Amino acid sequence: MDFSLLDQHIINGLVLGVIYAMVAVGFTLFFGVLNVIKFSHGDVLMAGSFAALIASLFLSQLGEFPTWLNLCISLLFAISIMATLGTLIAQHLVLPLRGAPPLNTLLITLMLGLAIREAVRLFYPNGSNPKPFPRLLPENSWIIGTMEIRQDTAIIIVGGLLAILILNLAIRKTRLGLSIRAVAQDPETARLMGINFKRIVLGTFALGSGLAALAGVANGLYYHEIIFDRGLFLGVIGFSAAVVGGLGSLLGAIIGGFLFAFLQTIGAIWFSVPAYKDVFAFVVIIMIMAWRPTGLLSEINSDRV
Amino acid sequence: MESMLETQNIYAGYDEADVLTGVSLKVQPGKITCLLGANGAGKSTLIRVLLGLTPARKGQVFYQTKEITNIETHNIVRQGVSTIPEGRKVFPKLTVRENLLIGAILEKSKAKAQDRMEGVLSIFPQLANRGQQLAGTMSGGEQAMLSIGRGLMGAPKLLIIDEPSLGLSPLFVKENFKVIQKIKERGITVLLVEQNVKQTLEISDYGYVLAQGQVVAHGTSSMLKSNSQMQAAYFGQGE
Repeated sequence: MDFSLLDQHIINGLVLGVIYAMVAVGFTLFFGVLNVIKFSHGDVLMAGSFAALIASLFLSQLGEFPTWLNLCISLLFAISIMATLGTLIAQHLVLPLRGAPPLNTLLITLMLGLAIREAVRLFYPNGSNPKPFPRLLPENSWIIGTMEIRQDTAIIIVGGLLAILILNLAIRKTRLGLSIRAVAQDPETARLMGINFKRIVLGTFALGSGLAALAGVANGLYYHEIIFDRGLFLGVIGFSAAVVGGLGSLLGAIIGGFLFAFLQTIGAIWFSVPAYKDVFAFVVIIMIMAWRPTGLLSEINSDRV
Repeated sequence: MESMLETQNIYAGYDEADVLTGVSLKVQPGKITCLLGANGAGKSTLIRVLLGLTPARKGQVFYQTKEITNIETHNIVRQGVSTIPEGRKVFPKLTVRENLLIGAILEKSKAKAQDRMEGVLSIFPQLANRGQQLAGTMSGGEQAMLSIGRGLMGAPKLLIIDEPSLGLSPLFVKENFKVIQKIKERGITVLLVEQNVKQTLEISDYGYVLAQGQVVAHGTSSMLKSNSQMQAAYFGQGE
């Protein structure tokens, strides 16, 4: 066991937790409104990070922009492109399959994810290799006691937490959120209330996919590089986090995301070989699923989106 | 007089079989019109057709002279049609307050929605201090109140009430019918679907009797009460 870098492990775990939670929230939202698993979600995240990369490189070609402006524009670009992509996927692939068994949706989005992944690999110049992601956040460090925390890391953690918090508030307090929750509980009665079912579904997919783009950019900013198949891994983790938290529960997804990051961190401290941390995390997740097959929060807290 | 809602020769069903074969009826404004019939007569299917939930294969539906056949449900609701669905269908994991608010989801002004909520709470004071309770944790009777309240939150011109007394205690059924009468007194047109013949005819103005997907009798309530054909048709099919 290696405790010497405990504070850095904790900070790293927080960043990962934020990213995982953002991915898991998407899975749980889609499941909530349509009872479907959209497996291309992780690849939408990856595509989002590439969209931001392209926008950022394009801006630096144009001239000297302050880095914060470059970041904001790239981020907005990535979010809006992915929100659009999510809406298109919902409209043309997911909604038409509503009468079919859920397994079909799972399969078709799995294949779509593969298509997105391979398209980025093929069409992005030299796409098989990792791409450096521009360093758009300040890299100074704060020293608090004996702990050192980099500003870019702090911004990612706070920004991600804010995004999750705002989404949560929107779901709980706004008319759109109320409509989403009603559709999740009983789509037919929701329609009887005058809710436009299709619009709510598309809006939910836009919301979840935009959040995935944000997670993708956060991932790029943290590791300073992105790669075409990163989405697959993050997708599987986000999905596991959503399931272990209780699919359909917003709070469950957030807790699941942080739980997974926490397990990886424990694994990283425990084993000297870093690769074991994922094995450890997944094994514990499997054990939790055996213990509570419907997820941690599905029975305690019935707050299905 | 112009009718509030009218169907002409409706055919509809599920899969291959037609459940409704040529149903025509009229709902007069400001009145309670009832739709009677035994289980399986096609009452629920007809309501689903009116609301755009099940497509009509043939025939037309008019709302205030405007054709609404097979248009999307939310566009029908938008024109002033609220429903109190069969089995109450409150949103179990929303609070009482949220359930009421969702009845007024089409109303953009918060103040107006709040006004309506106060109106509803004056009819059902029992709901007033339970705003934060999850609807799924309430008793059947309370859920019935909530469902009616939610329907009224839409400030409807036409209120469709589907089997309100199903699964309720006799005392509450009586209470429910009183409330429906009050709703009519507020100038809201009611289409009431029921199996409970006696009490329904007591409060309604006009009635249609459905059997095996067709209207077998219709007339004013006092007429229907003494109509032997209707009694036969109804109880002949029923339990």
